[in-house]
Amino acid sequence: MSASPVVSISDDAELARAARHGSRAAFGRLYDRYSRMVHGILLARVPYGDVDDLVQDVFLAALRQISALRDDGAFGGWLAMIARNRAHDYHRRAREWTELPDQIPAPDSHTPEALAALEAIRTLPDAYRETLMLRLVEGLTGDEIAARTGLAPASVRVNLHRGMKLLRRKLDCEGSA
Amino acid sequence: MRHDYLWDGSGEPDSEVLRLERLLSEFRSHRPAPELQPRPRWSAIAAAAALVAAGTWLASGAKPEGWQVARAGAGRSRLAVGETLETGAGGHATVNVGSIGYIEVDANSRLRLERARGDRQRMSLEYGLIRAFITAPPRTFVVDTPSAVATDLGCFYTLEVDKDGGGRVSVLAGWVSFAHAGRESFIPAGAACLTRPGRGPGTPYREQSSPAFRQALQNFDFGGGGDGALDIVLTEATKDDAFTLWHLLTEPRVFDALAALVPPPAGVTREGILRGDRQMLDRWWDQLGLGNAGWWRHLERPLQ
Repeated sequence: MSASPVVSISDDAELARAARHGSRAAFGRLYDRYSRMVHGILLARVPYGDVDDLVQDVFLAALRQISALRDDGAFGGWLAMIARNRAHDYHRRAREWTELPDQIPAPDSHTPEALAALEAIRTLPDAYRETLMLRLVEGLTGDEIAARTGLAPASVRVNLHRGMKLLRRKLDCEGSA
Repeated sequence: MRHDYLWDGSGEPDSEVLRLERLLSEFRSHRPAPELQPRPRWSAIAAAAALVAAGTWLASGAKPEGWQVARAGAGRSRLAVGETLETGAGGHATVNVGSIGYIEVDANSRLRLERARGDRQRMSLEYGLIRAFITAPPRTFVVDTPSAVATDLGCFYTLEVDKDGGGRVSVLAGWVSFAHAGRESFIPAGAACLTRPGRGPGTPYREQSSPAFRQALQNFDFGGGGDGALDIVLTEATKDDAFTLWHLLTEPRVFDALAALVPPPAGVTREGILRGDRQMLDRWWDQLGLGNAGWWRHLERPLQ
């Protein structure tokens, strides 16, 4: 897997503090550090074709609300909650306005095997699919997932291993069908 | 340290994990940071967010009773009204509060769903810690604790209850009301409030207020500190602590201390404040820079 910089909560808290005081540069660095987390959380919940736009929505919502964030060390968990809520809104609004297909076809550039694997993760329980998306798609380590989302490392470890066990079983079944 | 490829890519690669990493990397985030517009005023955004939340909530209509629960290691389930959710050591759950938001439930917590219909979402937290992220009109989401009732007035907060029944609410965005036996504290973003069995909620305070201020306030509220503790509170208070003093406006010296920090508007008198004139209290509140008291006063309704 690709090497990722070590996550420093104190650094991120300092960036969040600066962003809260109006620093666009600090917010831009937070975007760099957290965009994969937000992307993974959304990818676990909404069709691939809409994820990039929703990532921007989440960060713009965070930018608007960050002046109200008082615990700078909780930035990651706070941002993760905004992302989950945005995904929830996406489905609620879709239900209110029109009946969308469950999955909007992804661009043809993706292989059927990759799309099948992505879809298999999406069928897993919430806690597992989000953690597996962050690990397998976004390339974060377990420590990075815990630091960025605010989850306990032990919870991340459990989610990864149990989620992977379910995923293997699912892929085996599909392969043998 | 034990190598675990699934955890951090160390040690012997797991062939299936490696295959999935390669397959799925094409879905990875690549888009650069967006153009960020100048930040609008928070008050305008809050007002707009409140309107949007109100609109989507009204449009959503009634939902089936019950909340969806995702638990680490246990998958997804449904929590029906009257049922209890308990997380053990190392446990964690995410609970979908109808269509109005989420709560994250920490380890060693126990809660019970009391009501889950439309504009009435209510739970009790016996002990433990929850983080609530709610986008709904004020007073839609209510949490009972052994010593006070926490009512969401919009947004994001943490609520902790110990096994003795004491509690603490800490607000990151929006407002929370903490009430018991006719006493109600309004806690804005950046502030916290303690509660104790038999006493109910204390006085809300800014989390960045001085340690001496916080300690004296706690002594005054729960420790029998009396006049001595109140003296320290009044001496240590800064302009940012004015909302704390506003909650203590029952005697002349608090009036004087608050007036020194935030002068009362014209027409607000010492006599009126000391007799609890609600209009005068609200008019002074409006000078504190925390928004207009009218919005939550007008949205008040009897607790469920």
